Amino acid sequence: MNGILTLAGKEMKTAFKDNIFIIITGLFVILSVISVYVGSSTKNAEMQAYQDIIQMLKSQGETSFPAPPQIFHLSVLSNIISYVSMIGAVVAIFLGFETFSGERVNGMLKLIAVRPVYRDQIVTGKLLGGGAVIGLLLGVILIFNITLFIVVSGMVPSISELVRLLLFFLLAFAYLMVFYITTMFVSIKTNDSAFGFLLMMIVWITVSFVLPQLADSQRSFAYALSATAQTVTQVPSDTVISKTIELFSPAAQFQNIGKNLLQVVPETANASILSIILQQIGAIFEILIPGIVLLTMSYKSVQKEEVL
Amino acid sequence: MLITENLGKKYGEFTAVEDLSLEVKERSVFGFLGHNGAGKTTTISMLTTLILPTSGRAFIGGYDVVKDNLKVRNLLGYLPESVTLYGDLTAVENLRFFGKLSGVKNIDSRIDEILEMLDFTEWKNKKIKTYSKGMRQRIGIAQAILHKPKLLFLDEPTSGLDPQGTKAMRDILQKLNAEWGTTIFMNTHLLSEVTKICTDIGIISNGKLLAADSLEKIEKRFPEEKSLEEIYFKIEGVKQ
Repeated sequence: MNGILTLAGKEMKTAFKDNIFIIITGLFVILSVISVYVGSSTKNAEMQAYQDIIQMLKSQGETSFPAPPQIFHLSVLSNIISYVSMIGAVVAIFLGFETFSGERVNGMLKLIAVRPVYRDQIVTGKLLGGGAVIGLLLGVILIFNITLFIVVSGMVPSISELVRLLLFFLLAFAYLMVFYITTMFVSIKTNDSAFGFLLMMIVWITVSFVLPQLADSQRSFAYALSATAQTVTQVPSDTVISKTIELFSPAAQFQNIGKNLLQVVPETANASILSIILQQIGAIFEILIPGIVLLTMSYKSVQKEEVL
Repeated sequence: MLITENLGKKYGEFTAVEDLSLEVKERSVFGFLGHNGAGKTTTISMLTTLILPTSGRAFIGGYDVVKDNLKVRNLLGYLPESVTLYGDLTAVENLRFFGKLSGVKNIDSRIDEILEMLDFTEWKNKKIKTYSKGMRQRIGIAQAILHKPKLLFLDEPTSGLDPQGTKAMRDILQKLNAEWGTTIFMNTHLLSEVTKICTDIGIISNGKLLAADSLEKIEKRFPEEKSLEEIYFKIEGVKQ
């Protein structure tokens, strides 16, 4: 256990001493803070516009007023879903791309492996270290977000809203860890860190942009086809094909669950947390399964001689 | 301290090391000589538990390098040919990391002790990436001896060092051997260094051990050869 913690501590220390990592992380934190500020300001403006209309109607002697806009508190934080999905994933890739390949090239893996530690402990140590960095990062963003949310919007989140927020960050942690584990696996398998990084950027672009875009295009196509043929009166929001495409995109799954948790989807904004989890359980597994499979493969691959 | 019995390593059809049987006595400095690709690094990799032998056995301090690999690792220190360490960390941070992995107690006082011995205290809080090759090699030695190993493996320890660096490295190794009683096993190309520091040598060529004995005895066996270099080529030539 001591060896694992030592390895984890080293991963954290080297990450926070890397200037590029600090810049990407800083960008991630700043963007997430800005997103809360913009979200809160937009909702405030929406409420202000409603108040202005009421005032105007009152001055005109009207006695019946339109219903106030339905504002779900957490939807203020909706932009953070995209930032975690996009920039957070890049942070996780940057954190993991040299975990093995870089240390193999500079001979450090050999120096670690001649110590009384098992090879699977090396993977566990690096996993814990990377997890601690990602967890710390998300924790800082969570605290910033809640504080800013209260200060800018003037609203205090309820217990239920706080639980939703915590669950979202837990999900974000799992999502980013999948990217970290995938990058670590690539790093075990390749000697070339630059190649590993490029490969992971291709994976990132595919799951974050290409597949969701394909699913969206398919949805639009289905909508246009249905509208032209006038075969249906109500167009389904999702089609079987687009849902199947999204199965291969943890990013799309993460965004879907995130929107439900952060009250962006009006239908589930007031639903119980348990019902959201049960409804999204398939999507949660679709995020977790690649991570579990690749972590198991990492433990297996690291036993091979050529890893050193 | 170190015994190998018919140790061998094959990669598919290619034999890297074959039937290697040798003994390295406690407190000796063993120079392992051979041309590039002779099997020196493969041998060190097997003895340091980094790779598994495909045949034979090896024992360090009485422990089997395959079956008791964790116990063996507690007894050995290792310095690979090229050491970069963690460039963004200082010497102390690097050493603290390796010391903790080796289970060293009172790590900070041990680091101070080692750095003082290596005359390195002045630079201990500077980042490794600012060091010269010679300085890195000294920190490389420091990480290898932090847990006071009984047996120290060095792969080309003076490779790429200038004459001052080479002498400094030789002085350190002699000090370790004399004061701590550390047994040293070093791969090297530099025959001049071998004559200055080694008590015993082994010569390997194409994966086969051609000779292994004390330097004195080997020199007596070849009275006509004036230098170790001549003896080395004679042995390689005779046996091939």
